[in-house]
Amino acid sequence: MTAKKRILLIDDDKDFLIATKLILEKGGYEVFLAEDGKTGVEIWKSVAPDLAIIDLMMETWGEGFSVLSRIRATDTGKDTPLFLLSAVDLQGPYNSFEPPPEFPKVNAVMQKPVKAEDLLRRIAQELGGKMMS
Amino acid sequence: MMQRPSPLILIIDDEESIRDGCRQALEKLGYAVLDAGDGNEGIKIAREAKPDIALIDLKMPGISGMEIIEILSRDLPDMVLVMITGYATIVSAVEAIQKGAYDYLPKPFSPDQLRAVTQRAIEHRNLKIETRRLREEKDRMEKSFITFVSHEMRSPLVVIRQYLEALKAVAGDRLNRDMTEIIERCCARIQNLETMVEHWLDIRKIGEGAFVGKKEPLDLLYIIGRTAEEMAPICKANGLQLEIMDLPEKIPEILGDPESLLRVFINIIGNATKYTPENGKISISAKSDDYHVTVRISDTGAGIPADKLPFIFEPFYRVRGKEERQRGSGLGLTFCKRIMELHGGEIAASSVEGQGSTFLLKFPTHMQPGQRMGSRTTPSGRKG
Repeated sequence: MTAKKRILLIDDDKDFLIATKLILEKGGYEVFLAEDGKTGVEIWKSVAPDLAIIDLMMETWGEGFSVLSRIRATDTGKDTPLFLLSAVDLQGPYNSFEPPPEFPKVNAVMQKPVKAEDLLRRIAQELGGKMMS
Repeated sequence: MMQRPSPLILIIDDEESIRDGCRQALEKLGYAVLDAGDGNEGIKIAREAKPDIALIDLKMPGISGMEIIEILSRDLPDMVLVMITGYATIVSAVEAIQKGAYDYLPKPFSPDQLRAVTQRAIEHRNLKIETRRLREEKDRMEKSFITFVSHEMRSPLVVIRQYLEALKAVAGDRLNRDMTEIIERCCARIQNLETMVEHWLDIRKIGEGAFVGKKEPLDLLYIIGRTAEEMAPICKANGLQLEIMDLPEKIPEILGDPESLLRVFINIIGNATKYTPENGKISISAKSDDYHVTVRISDTGAGIPADKLPFIFEPFYRVRGKEERQRGSGLGLTFCKRIMELHGGEIAASSVEGQGSTFLLKFPTHMQPGQRMGSRTTPSGRKG
């Protein structure tokens, strides 16, 4: 049996962490939780997960951007898929979201609450568990 | 309240005897005193030491008291300025007060008069500071209330929906149809509440003038196109036909904020999708003359009863009907009306119950000075 893929979830809302963890575990992943950006980056360094999901708005607006940059700057974070989650619809018609050109790669931006099937499908796409092509 | 231990008073007067006399009288009362023998020095000291009060002689060699008052009241609005004048005419007193002085003291004056005027000036300054502090506090509270609502009310709703998602994922196959339906209904109601919070925030933001972004010359055909793109999936899902008809090739530009207008259009078509039964039709058309562009959005839905029509733009007013697919926030049309008003436009509705509703959105055209719109029409061929 292959080892479970590991996902790090960073969000300052404990309930959101628990709810999303349940979904990810149902999807067969091992899940690590961090309630703030600093802890998130530390866990990233010690565990080196296969993917991280980061809340955009934690203690301060845009905290997620800085966490994402710091993770990208680590050795293990260069090519790992990183997702951003936001409570506002950044990709909707009203809040067109474009990271600045020099901003590190974001693999997906998803809106909270995120549908279980959407989340698991996007993760599967990134982690090579190719579903249907 | 934050305050210096003792008020600091600056005396600007070219007569040394006046400076000394004032200093003695004021220091006796426990005030800290600075003085300057001419205007330039006085302004310099005022800017550095930021005294609470400045007593300024009107007639001095070089820069005059009136000019000092003008400069200081502009640079240091918290400072209270009192004019000292040897020839206290009503005219000079009025002029000083117009330039920003709070009071004046005619020469010669007794120490008691000086104390009385200074005391009044200090009370005035305290009031000024207190007023500003309260105003800032009020602004801060309003702002933090909006932040509170947007964060503290929205995030629990998001979390509850995430839990329901988790419940579906975890229990999935063990849920029977009734249970699934209960979960779906919970989701829908929570989502409605989220929408209501969002609409309410939008209306607050309009009130603060923060909503409509920078207005730019805008082609409404572009907005119509984007709206249709955005709404096509919902219409399709509800079995409705979305039709863009009778669009002129070109219409005059208007001055508008594209994002907020897009929301207006989406809102109205969104309403139409809620109230129009399957196989119905929603159509968008536009026409223009030199002065106005009018967009017409019609549906073949349930319509709005005539007695309710006058109220539909009021906040929280809802036309309840059995045809309604989904409850609205009761703020959507209020939002549309306010945005239209901010564009100098109008919104109007007409309806025949059982046959459908029509919304007309009328915008003033944006005309460059000296430019006549209607380049499509020949000079003699203007429509009457």
